[in-house]
Amino acid sequence: MSRDSIDRRTFLKVTGATAATVTVAGCGGGGTETTEPGDGDGDGGDGGDGSDGDGTGDGGGGDGDGDGDGGDGDGSGLSGTLVYARGDHPENYDPQQTTSGEVAKVTNQIFDTLIQFTPGSGGQLEDGLATDYSLEGTTATLELREDVTFHSGEEFTAADFKATYQRFTQSGFDYYLGDENRSGYGPFTLGNWIDSVDASEDYSLTIELQQQYAPFLRNLAMFAAAVLSKAQIEKMGANPDDQVSLGTEPVGTGPFAFEQLDNPNSRILLTANEEFWGPGPNVAEVVFKTIQENSTRVQDVINGDSHITDNLDADGFQQAQNSDSATLLRKNGINVGYMAMNMARREEFRDRRVRRAVSLAVNTEAIVNQIYQGFASQADQPLPPDVLGHNEDIEPYPQDKDQARTLLEEAGYGDGFGFELATFSNPRGYNPSPIQTANQVQSDLEDVGLSVEINQFSTFSPYLEYTDQGRHDACFLGWYTDNADPDNFLYVLLDPKVPMDAVPDDQDWVSFDTEGYSTLNVSGWANTDFMETVREAQRTYDEGQRESMYMEANQLAHDEAPWVFLDYAETLRAVNEAVVEDSYTVSSVGGPYLNTVEIQ
Amino acid sequence: MSTDTHADDGPGDAADDRRETRGLLERVRASPFLSDLLSNRLAVAGLLVILTVVVVAVYARVTMDLTELTRSRLGTDVPDRAPPGWVGPAAWNQYLFGTDAAARDIYKRCLYGAWLAMKFGTITVGVSTVVGVSLGIVAAYYGDVTDNVVMRTMDVLLAFPPLLLALALVAIFPRELGLWRAVAALTLVYTPRFARVVRGAALKVLEDEYVNATVALGASDPRILARHVLPNTLAPVTVQSTLNFGLAIIDLAALSFLGFGAQAGTPSWGLMLSRGVDNGLLTGRWWLSFFPGLVLAVTVLGFNLLGDGMRDALDPRMREAVD
Amino acid sequence: MASLRFVLKRLLLLVPVLFGVATVVFGILHLAPGDPARIIAGQRASAEQVAQVRRELGLTRPLWVQYLDFIWEAARFDFGRSYSISQGNPVRQVLADRLPVTVELALYGQLAGIFIGIPLGVLSAIKQDTATDHLTRVGALSGISVPIFWSGPLLILLFATFLGVLPTSGRIDSTLFLPTTWTLLGRELPLTGMITVDALLLGRFDAFVSAVRHLLMPALVIGIYATALISRMMRSSMLEVVRQDYMRTARAKGQGAKITVTKHGFRNALIPVVTIIGIQFGTLLGGAVLTETVFGINGMGLTIVRAIGASDYPVVQGTVLTFALLFTLVTLVVDITYGYLDPRIQQ
Repeated sequence: MSRDSIDRRTFLKVTGATAATVTVAGCGGGGTETTEPGDGDGDGGDGGDGSDGDGTGDGGGGDGDGDGDGGDGDGSGLSGTLVYARGDHPENYDPQQTTSGEVAKVTNQIFDTLIQFTPGSGGQLEDGLATDYSLEGTTATLELREDVTFHSGEEFTAADFKATYQRFTQSGFDYYLGDENRSGYGPFTLGNWIDSVDASEDYSLTIELQQQYAPFLRNLAMFAAAVLSKAQIEKMGANPDDQVSLGTEPVGTGPFAFEQLDNPNSRILLTANEEFWGPGPNVAEVVFKTIQENSTRVQDVINGDSHITDNLDADGFQQAQNSDSATLLRKNGINVGYMAMNMARREEFRDRRVRRAVSLAVNTEAIVNQIYQGFASQADQPLPPDVLGHNEDIEPYPQDKDQARTLLEEAGYGDGFGFELATFSNPRGYNPSPIQTANQVQSDLEDVGLSVEINQFSTFSPYLEYTDQGRHDACFLGWYTDNADPDNFLYVLLDPKVPMDAVPDDQDWVSFDTEGYSTLNVSGWANTDFMETVREAQRTYDEGQRESMYMEANQLAHDEAPWVFLDYAETLRAVNEAVVEDSYTVSSVGGPYLNTVEIQ
Repeated sequence: MSTDTHADDGPGDAADDRRETRGLLERVRASPFLSDLLSNRLAVAGLLVILTVVVVAVYARVTMDLTELTRSRLGTDVPDRAPPGWVGPAAWNQYLFGTDAAARDIYKRCLYGAWLAMKFGTITVGVSTVVGVSLGIVAAYYGDVTDNVVMRTMDVLLAFPPLLLALALVAIFPRELGLWRAVAALTLVYTPRFARVVRGAALKVLEDEYVNATVALGASDPRILARHVLPNTLAPVTVQSTLNFGLAIIDLAALSFLGFGAQAGTPSWGLMLSRGVDNGLLTGRWWLSFFPGLVLAVTVLGFNLLGDGMRDALDPRMREAVD
Repeated sequence: MASLRFVLKRLLLLVPVLFGVATVVFGILHLAPGDPARIIAGQRASAEQVAQVRRELGLTRPLWVQYLDFIWEAARFDFGRSYSISQGNPVRQVLADRLPVTVELALYGQLAGIFIGIPLGVLSAIKQDTATDHLTRVGALSGISVPIFWSGPLLILLFATFLGVLPTSGRIDSTLFLPTTWTLLGRELPLTGMITVDALLLGRFDAFVSAVRHLLMPALVIGIYATALISRMMRSSMLEVVRQDYMRTARAKGQGAKITVTKHGFRNALIPVVTIIGIQFGTLLGGAVLTETVFGINGMGLTIVRAIGASDYPVVQGTVLTFALLFTLVTLVVDITYGYLDPRIQQ
């Protein structure tokens, strides 16, 4: 890349002539674009303009294609276009402006993180832009990789990470992204923990934390912690609104460079970065296209119009399985789906026997096997399998309506009671069929005398707002892991984050308006034993100790049943036969790892 | 939104003076409207379809238990997504239309869907008719400022593409209302059409001299409106209602498809159809969507055939207002 | 020719309507549940962060200030930036990207409707009450009795799954990319955003073929609606005209039936059809909402569905107002055309 650091537009202006544009036009559109010399003029040059958007940050968008498609004689001969189909098309690809996995799929191709998840490992860490890293006490030290360049040609140094961090979390920074633009990950993963970042040396970083915090290195592997280019950040301008447009011309160090954002056709063109420091890339271009309808998207892979797709539902799963030209890849996911019972709102749920009765009444087996068609497994604790601290000894609650009735009678609710079950209606990974699941819960609970009124939300955001305020009696929710750390489930979802003394004695719940309450805990559960354990574990660096603490916490959560544990869903991908076998590694955290993918 | 203002110099109508002296029933019987309509075979076919649906609806409402049709039967011995008996391994008459993803009987749900379609269709069209007719007549009769205020408001509502307005309106009603919010939204969307049709028709009646004569004789406002204006707008209103009924069924279904319609598990045709399309059309489980789609389409076709026939049989002077 | 006064009067009448439209849009969105600040901040944000965002968006200001602000924005056609679906980008840009997509789709649907609907309607009228007539009418009415979200997937099933001859969705092959401007006489000009037109302007025949292949099914689905409405209107309008006195006179004067129909009937019969074409344009745009959803075409329709789903208020406001404006303008054009065809109306 560095060899070729003038961007394409400048290049065009300099050479100008038709002879040059033939080459360049080939670059712009990639292998399939055939351009006649006659109109090559407008064609090639314009492609560059388009990707540069409003013209700021020229070094960005237009570049990276120079060697990307191998048309300019560097002999590597990368060819082929990999098409990745998905269900949504966001229009801003700034890792700091979103919590959306759809954005992360693309930014993970463009950017690198200091530390990264090993593809397919379920959350092990490996070197990224850092070649060595350690966390001791409250200090993290990292040695950085040398000779890595951004797609724009600048060299990567520690200063880039510092600017990235400041843009994300420091409101005093000149190029701060702004409260209304940055995503919640800013404080959640970095800002709340980091005290200072020392980037005085080019290839080493020292990060001081405010307290001992075990998950920190994992947080650095999250897509939101991707390293942006300091040069680009400064070029965008000091106004937060200007920083926003970084997302339409992202520049990173990753295996693919951003080439064209085609909003009217809901797709994105990326070109290979042959200077990439890691494995791959093995294709000249990647196209992310959008097909909202699940089954249509799978059909597109079957037809060979796209190569890989995600977010399959029960039906797509079968479609891919029945097809000759597509295969289905499945892997255990790192997520959990649950039904939370709100103790802060309903007195009945404050009785453990009632919560256990509900857990016993719901037929989670039918839910995972029939509604989710077997591509999820029954959950029995908050933490999914394969994550440190998952307790193998815990079994799912079996469906036992008699015992449920007995428990309800003991608790004094033999005549039953009624409550509201709030749910979202569009499929999410951990709950691919929320409405039907709600329907099943309703039918099951009816048999033990509880009448459930389903309150369905057609859109997800107002739903989150509703559960945030604790207005639900019970609700469906779930969680995909951010960083494959147990803390990311147990502390984040079940600790109320209020001071220990804010929880009254002999009470294992607190109200949502308690000072400091984290509304991600939608059941109002505040079990002090549990809280002590997970808070201690958060500061514990010894893996073995940590593991046993989390296993204990899981057992407690299972027994106390603040949630009905519904399922752990698998991560599913449909892949067309054109993709070379085993070149694509499905991963349940990070990715998709398209740098290694080869197509025939 | 524009046709109503166009004066139409249709041929003079000799029936005018006769009309005044007869009772409503008699008038209807003697009107060329009914005889025209009954001689239109397609319209009669439409009418038959509608009557059948009504009979089925009442039958389903009386004999079936809604909770039984709504509740999930997973985990029982009823298979989910089972094909109709006559194509699958089961006895030919078992699960006539197959079972759905929650192992419910699609045949029974289709029958009950007729009741829901009729019920919500009637309410949607009924309310918008009543409100629209009142507004239209008041606007036409009082004219001037009243007319302007009413009709400009209607113009505003008519300025939105119908489904779009419904979509935006659905968002503001409380979720707990379920299908009712779709009903409320569509009612608001349809009302201006009735107001426009009725106003147009009423204006033509008011132009007629006999009404002027009645006014001159000192008849009161309500009396004139009720005895002279209203009866004469009945025909175009009926046509508009019929055509809108089919539209209401299809629009309610569309809102369900877009996620703003009936509550989970409700045996409404629209919901069954859209869930069925999602859950199995491309994997070969055609029965999930085919039967709900078929009954829905046939019913809507019935209303369209009848409405179309009525439109043709309508007095040409009134026809222009209806679209 | 329609008089200038008539046109001006109609234009003037638009002002209060558009003002009302803007008010309705404002009202709807401020009554709707869903806190935009929460949406922007995301699931991981704390309550304080959400409150901070709410302040920065100006949502804590008095309602009337927000209203005036909105009207002023609407007048300048500037709705600020998208909250989520095109995060951070100006809504105006979102609209500029999407509008041509939907207009292209609706136009092809409309064209299909006109070219199929008018001949069918005339045929039906000439063969009144024969089997041909009945078949045509039932066919046309069936077309509008089948929901788009059913007929669309059925077409996909037939053409993309079983026959495999057409692509499932989208507007162009995923590997074909077009530049964003074209050159005429050495000057760079922006493209139209209508992909079939652009492909031709750029001389890219492969892209044109691909775009047409992608457009076939969605245009057909929308076209069915247009066909049904137009043929029905054409038929009854034809019959109506044929019944009129002057037609009888013409025939009595010895002209052949065929000539009568073409010479006198057709033009007069077209008048109400023009109206219906205009009025149903709104229905077609509404149909675009469903068609775009089914076929994954990122036009105004899909955008509004996604924006409502994501509570992206600026985008909802922008798209709804654009739709209303478009709809109103089409109606205006229809009125003026009507006035031209039938000068009596201008009085």
